Amino acid sequence: MLHDLLFRLRTLMRRPAAENELNDELRFHIERQTDKYVKSGMSHAEALRRARLEFGGLDQVKNECREARGVSLVESLVQDLHYSARTLLHSPAFTACAVLTLALGIGANTAIFSVVNQVLLNPLPYPNPQELLAAPENDSLPNLEDIQRQTKSFASSGGINIEPMDFSGTGEPVRVHGAYVDVGLFTTLGAQPVLGRLISADEDVKGGPRNVVLSYPFWRDFLGSDPHVLGKAIRLSDNSYTVIGVMPRDFTLPKELADVFVSLWVGYPDAAAERDVHFMHTYWRLKPGVPLAQAQAEIAHVDRRLAEEFPHTEKERATLLIPLHEWLVGDVRPALLILFGAVGLVLLIACANFAMLLMVRAVARQRELVIRASLGARNRRLIRQRLTENTLLALVGGAAGLIAAKAGTTLLLALRPAELRRLDAIPMDARVFLFVFAISLLTGLLFGLLPAWSASRGDIAEALRENARTTTTGVSRSPLRSFLVTAELALALILLAGAGLLIKGFLRLRSVDPGFNPANVITMYLQLPGSRYPQIPMQTNFRRELLARINAFPGVEAAMITDLPLAGNYVGHRVVVDGQATRAEGTEPVVQTLSVMGEFFGVMQIPIRNGRDFSAMDREGQPRVAIVNEEFVRQLLPGQNAIGTRIDWTRSSDPHEWMTIIGVAGDVKHSGLNQPVDPAVYAPFSQNDEAWRKFMTLVIRSRVPEASLVEDVKKQVWSLDSQIPVSGIQSMDDLLAVSVAQQRFNMLLLGSFAALAVALAGVGIYGMVAYRVTQRTQEIGVYIALGAQHRDVLRLVMKDGVKLGLLGIVLGLAGAVALTRVMVSVLFEVKPTDPATLIGVALLLAVVAMLACYIPARRALSIHPMTALRRE
Amino acid sequence: MPSRSIDLPQGTLDLLILRTLSLEPLHGWAVSERIQQISSDVLRVQQGSLYPALHRLERRGWIKARWGTSENNRKAKFYELTKAGRRELEIEQDAWQKLTAAVGQILETA
Repeated sequence: MLHDLLFRLRTLMRRPAAENELNDELRFHIERQTDKYVKSGMSHAEALRRARLEFGGLDQVKNECREARGVSLVESLVQDLHYSARTLLHSPAFTACAVLTLALGIGANTAIFSVVNQVLLNPLPYPNPQELLAAPENDSLPNLEDIQRQTKSFASSGGINIEPMDFSGTGEPVRVHGAYVDVGLFTTLGAQPVLGRLISADEDVKGGPRNVVLSYPFWRDFLGSDPHVLGKAIRLSDNSYTVIGVMPRDFTLPKELADVFVSLWVGYPDAAAERDVHFMHTYWRLKPGVPLAQAQAEIAHVDRRLAEEFPHTEKERATLLIPLHEWLVGDVRPALLILFGAVGLVLLIACANFAMLLMVRAVARQRELVIRASLGARNRRLIRQRLTENTLLALVGGAAGLIAAKAGTTLLLALRPAELRRLDAIPMDARVFLFVFAISLLTGLLFGLLPAWSASRGDIAEALRENARTTTTGVSRSPLRSFLVTAELALALILLAGAGLLIKGFLRLRSVDPGFNPANVITMYLQLPGSRYPQIPMQTNFRRELLARINAFPGVEAAMITDLPLAGNYVGHRVVVDGQATRAEGTEPVVQTLSVMGEFFGVMQIPIRNGRDFSAMDREGQPRVAIVNEEFVRQLLPGQNAIGTRIDWTRSSDPHEWMTIIGVAGDVKHSGLNQPVDPAVYAPFSQNDEAWRKFMTLVIRSRVPEASLVEDVKKQVWSLDSQIPVSGIQSMDDLLAVSVAQQRFNMLLLGSFAALAVALAGVGIYGMVAYRVTQRTQEIGVYIALGAQHRDVLRLVMKDGVKLGLLGIVLGLAGAVALTRVMVSVLFEVKPTDPATLIGVALLLAVVAMLACYIPARRALSIHPMTALRRE
Repeated sequence: MPSRSIDLPQGTLDLLILRTLSLEPLHGWAVSERIQQISSDVLRVQQGSLYPALHRLERRGWIKARWGTSENNRKAKFYELTKAGRRELEIEQDAWQKLTAAVGQILETA
């Protein structure tokens, strides 16, 4: 076998030489034979004639020799390719249709595959990424250090907390993402600086030097890529830090955004030592060969020990470790796989159309085939030629698909939701090219073979009869074409059902009442630097003054809150209710704690269901008050009158400084429209006893144009303190849109795939009916001449199309019921078998199918009997 | 041309070529001459069909070709048997003998 292949290849490589040798060899034979006859007494001419005669046809022998050497296979492929290219160029309309159909199918697939490739298949950008783990639960530094000391499964581990920092170097103060890290983080991620060095272990201690490592973008954007930056000082949140290193351009944290890296012990000396301040994301690297289960068991053991030792804060510990890759892509994996499956169905439909186009063309090229066959082309060779042509078409379609995919990925990037934030580029790597090549080749071979094979069997003979002016009812009723049309519609229905469910779910989600009125509300984030506002009274003065100034603008209502609804963050505290039985330490309910100032409920138009709103009198020095949400009442005070009940945080020391509930506010979807509402407690900033709540978000309701309002507010902020950055400027409407971006992404993509599928299926059924009308022109002409009504003619030509369409829809419904089950995880409050959606999409597709049948059928009505007959 | 010569049965040409080449390397014309001589002109090889057979055998690796000088001092392509070809010859020869023996037996007794 190998010898055979090498032989063929060698022959092919040295084709001109081999051809010469063959000529020499045969010429030698004839000369030798001629010599023989000359010696026996013939004249030279006679001898030559006889030798040639005995030898047989020289060209034929040569051909047989070439075939025997195995050159012919490749040679005929080249011939076929040449021939194919020529014929395809001769029918540009057909070629364009086929290439466009495939480009759409393959392009959509390639675009989605590029995303799947980048998000799910490509390894994380860290050395030995399979050893990396993440813990979804935050933890504190003392706990992390205890676990590090008491376990053997991990090569290293590290924690990180992202807090905004103010960078006031040049121009406007800006808010940057500060990463407070424990030194193990860099080791765990295997990161090396591109310039300088990282924070060392002996600097990562309380009272260590104020050193900072910069991210590449920060170094480039704010320091102009200064090559001599090492050793220089920059000001971050009112402290001077010395730059000791710059991270490489492609270094990113697994999930967090970070501009600067400082030691946790240096940046957060107080919080770092607190065991109950669980504010760090932790990452872990397994020792090579250690299984995850062993590490998990070991960490569970330490967890139990910590829970016993620190029951007050660590009682409910249960550190769960998840492979880092899974933790990062777990949320998007189901959606991506569903989209990938859906786009695969689109390709199948495109392929069916491709096959039908080829079949129609095969019949149209009947005469050519007959001529070639009668000139001696063998059937196998004819099929091979057609297959070559179809594969060539598919490959051209694939190449066009690549271009479509490039455009598609640009669009995908623009639409991507926060979950795909890491996806800052969708590169087309070797794997993507291989994917395109493979599906194009497969499409060409598989769907090119179908019609080629079917043509060689019956359809051509049938078509011949057609041309011979027969008018049987079997005309163009190829079983293969019927199957393709039915399958197309079934697949389109499945996609349409999926899209319908997502759309319905999305509409449901959008119609969820967020609990406030987002219209005309602008928000901005501010943080007071701890160095200049260490105590609560200073903070309160700043806030009060700022609000007073903004509220002085005409037509503007402003208030502030610690964390915005839908932004996802909040600080949780354990709460005790005065008069309720004391619960075991560490098991008290956790509630959202939100500090507000100004008429927050009024600005946000959150209804006060019971009691009263805060007033200007609820301030420092006055009795402590709180407003709770309805969920708080449902969970903690069921059936009681909440107003007047006293509550406090568990961490407060005895005796409790009780807060009295003065009002009940409507529930707000704080964590997302599809998330349940948690119990929440609102309390005035001014009565707060937590000096670390230095951050706040302004909420401003106004009809003033956003840009000018933002500028005015900034001016007021900077007239109070020129060093405070104003960031996170966004409208509540935008925030709402961002919170449903993932669902919107899924819906838009699946929706456009479904639209593409319906269009392709419509074209498919249209093509079939149109072809039928063309083929039966005479029959229809006669029919009309005999007095057939419009209705009869329509019925005649539409009957098959409609029948197949309906069959496809019924089969599609069955398929949809079976397949949409995989969508449960991405649907919001819609069952995957939602009858209204299924019936709706079935009707929609039925209308499309009818239209696709009707438009070409109408042409049949305009057939003039005489013209039809004259065509013969 | 002898009037009583017969055409070769299908598939036997390969066997005859291998057998002829088993004695010494020969060029194509010599192979056809040798077959005719040894069979006392009973077997008639269509000369043209000899070459595709030679090329096929070469592709299968049973014979190999090499350019040399012919007896009349001309450049000619010589074929010789390879090891694989020798094995193949034994197998084919064996099969042929069994076949002819069996056929002969039937013709004699039946």
